[in-house]
Amino acid sequence: MIKLEERKASIQPIKSKLKISILDDGDVKKINQTALNILEEVGVFFPSEKALRIFADAGANVDFDKKLVKIPGHMVTDYLKKASGRYTLAGRRPELDAKIGSNEGTYFYCSGEAPNVVDLETGARRRAVKSDVENMAKIADYFPIVSLVWPTVSSGDKGETAPIHGVEACFNSTEKHVQTESVMDEISAKYTIEMASVIAGGRDKLRERPIYSLLLCGVAPLSQDKGGIESALVFAEAGLPIGFMSMPTMGLTAPPYQAADLAIGLAEVLSGCVLIQIAYPGTPLFISIMPAIIDPRSGDYFFGSSFSQITSTAAVQLAHSNGLPITTQFSFGGSAFKLNSWQMGIENVYGHLLSVMAGADMSFGPSGMIEAVTLLDMARILFDREIFQAIDIITKGVEVSDRTLAFDMIREVGPRGMFLGQKRTAEELPKLWPPSILFEKSKVVGEKYRNAEEVAREAIDWVLKNHHPAPLDEKVQQELRRIVAAADRDENLKRELKGRK
Amino acid sequence: MGNKELFAEMEQSIVNYDKDEAVRLAKMALQKGIDPAVAINEGFVKGIQAVGDLFGEGEIFLPELVMGAEAMAAATDILGEAIKKSGGKAKYLAKGIAGTVQGDIHEIGIRLVTTFLIANGFDITFLGTDVSTSLFVDKAKELKPDIILLSALLTTTMPNQKEVIDSLKEAGIRESVKVIVGGAPVSQDWADQIGADGYGQNAPAAVEAVKKLMGI
Repeated sequence: MIKLEERKASIQPIKSKLKISILDDGDVKKINQTALNILEEVGVFFPSEKALRIFADAGANVDFDKKLVKIPGHMVTDYLKKASGRYTLAGRRPELDAKIGSNEGTYFYCSGEAPNVVDLETGARRRAVKSDVENMAKIADYFPIVSLVWPTVSSGDKGETAPIHGVEACFNSTEKHVQTESVMDEISAKYTIEMASVIAGGRDKLRERPIYSLLLCGVAPLSQDKGGIESALVFAEAGLPIGFMSMPTMGLTAPPYQAADLAIGLAEVLSGCVLIQIAYPGTPLFISIMPAIIDPRSGDYFFGSSFSQITSTAAVQLAHSNGLPITTQFSFGGSAFKLNSWQMGIENVYGHLLSVMAGADMSFGPSGMIEAVTLLDMARILFDREIFQAIDIITKGVEVSDRTLAFDMIREVGPRGMFLGQKRTAEELPKLWPPSILFEKSKVVGEKYRNAEEVAREAIDWVLKNHHPAPLDEKVQQELRRIVAAADRDENLKRELKGRK
Repeated sequence: MGNKELFAEMEQSIVNYDKDEAVRLAKMALQKGIDPAVAINEGFVKGIQAVGDLFGEGEIFLPELVMGAEAMAAATDILGEAIKKSGGKAKYLAKGIAGTVQGDIHEIGIRLVTTFLIANGFDITFLGTDVSTSLFVDKAKELKPDIILLSALLTTTMPNQKEVIDSLKEAGIRESVKVIVGGAPVSQDWADQIGADGYGQNAPAAVEAVKKLMGI
């Protein structure tokens, strides 16, 4: 069993000794050039007057009627140079800081956001509520494999201001860095940034140590979201890191080829990066390209294919060639519908293994997701933990040294001897058998090990009962509540979220 | 060319996913003075039914279905105009309006559903994305559809599906139309909760839900 003991939050990126490249230099160059050609000749849809004006004033080719922006190649490369590719996604304490671009390894997210959850008491599926966000953030706080935290599910009981409530729930339930993907309008952005600055101790301190950031997903192909873009501009004004994600689906929102998927995805995310660098040069940025395929019989979105996994890994080189950090891989449970299944394993092991070896700065990871980000099953995080433990071991490779060659032991034990009783074996053997939920001895006759799902659920119950993330100061919590209440009453926000002006 | 051969070629143009040929044959039918409703029903509909059958058997996949539907739509656009001018009525299984709800600009899924339904012989008007509740209601009053399809891809825009249903009630037309909801975060539970008549997890499921509701 894994060791469950109350402890302060910590983070553990995985740094690989093994290195892989998917693309050769020629491939990287071709894909980059194609992305630039797309930006210059095809353009990206920006349904935001603010964004269109920013681009036009900077010299891009803007069609205000069609809301289409075409960006000359030189402009892309010039503005990308201003982006900061080395920065901190801060936690509440420096020990929890994710040092992006500093070669510390791959940091993993507990991300989301699913609409539904498996109820911890009944095991039934139901719509997620704010307390589920709090619970999962607490769980994420406990496990070191998680470095970065999202609201994992939507606060379905909070109406239009669910994204704001989700961010508040995370701020209160974890000391780790909090990121949002659902704050998709400038008013909500302002409310949540206000919360972050209260926690940080002021705007300047927040800028210095950004404990909050934004990931914005575009609408493939080659489209940005109005509210999202305007939210990003607010984050950038506050000096907070921003990620741009594209989710091009081969055969649906991208051509049916992996290289084209990368090129079109890269164009989409770079368009957002350029906008932010024009408006607020030096803003810390990252990108994410999440290729997928569809079931050709139904159109169902399919996360877990090998095509998607290798293509997402290839994006690491593209990002780094543009001076940008990257977040890779789904680990939203792939498309598996069952926890603790063979399908769950194959859809979630090799993607992250490849990404770590390719040097991804961040990766979506232990999130409790199954069924293509539509369902949170909290116990899932224990299975992810198993996967990441394996990845950590594998990517450390084999240590070859005088000590590990152990010639002296071999000579001492000799032919037909046994190494088991050796002192060094006593020291090293437990390290070869790391803690796991898979090998919990069973007391049932005829059953060697307990059902791993049951063990995982017990672990989650323990964490929820016994782990207590360091609370925010009561005055800070009060202030967050005040800000959220103000957002709930804000009629302008309601109109903005409903799409009316 | 006799009418029988022309109808056979019309059918074949859809089976071949040949939009240009379908358009050419549609125009030829009008030039020959053939009743456009007959041209649709004896020629093109047979083609789209053949495409649908092949899809159902797993012989072809979505790209072919989309191409077949596009060829069908191109032909029926021409013939449909002629029918309207002559005061006639084309034979469709049912009439519907479809769109993504207000505040949501995702459209791929609902476009696929619309394509599937057209391919299955439905008359669907696609209203687009970010469609206001009031537009859904206005179009429902104007077009008197049998079905309304509402898509939402964000948990924050899902409530607008409920808003449309409630607004149809307020307008006194809820009972005259079947409402089907869909989108990645939507579920059967949600559909039941908001009083929708049906739910489609994906495009084929949406078509089945529509057929079931229409008793087809």
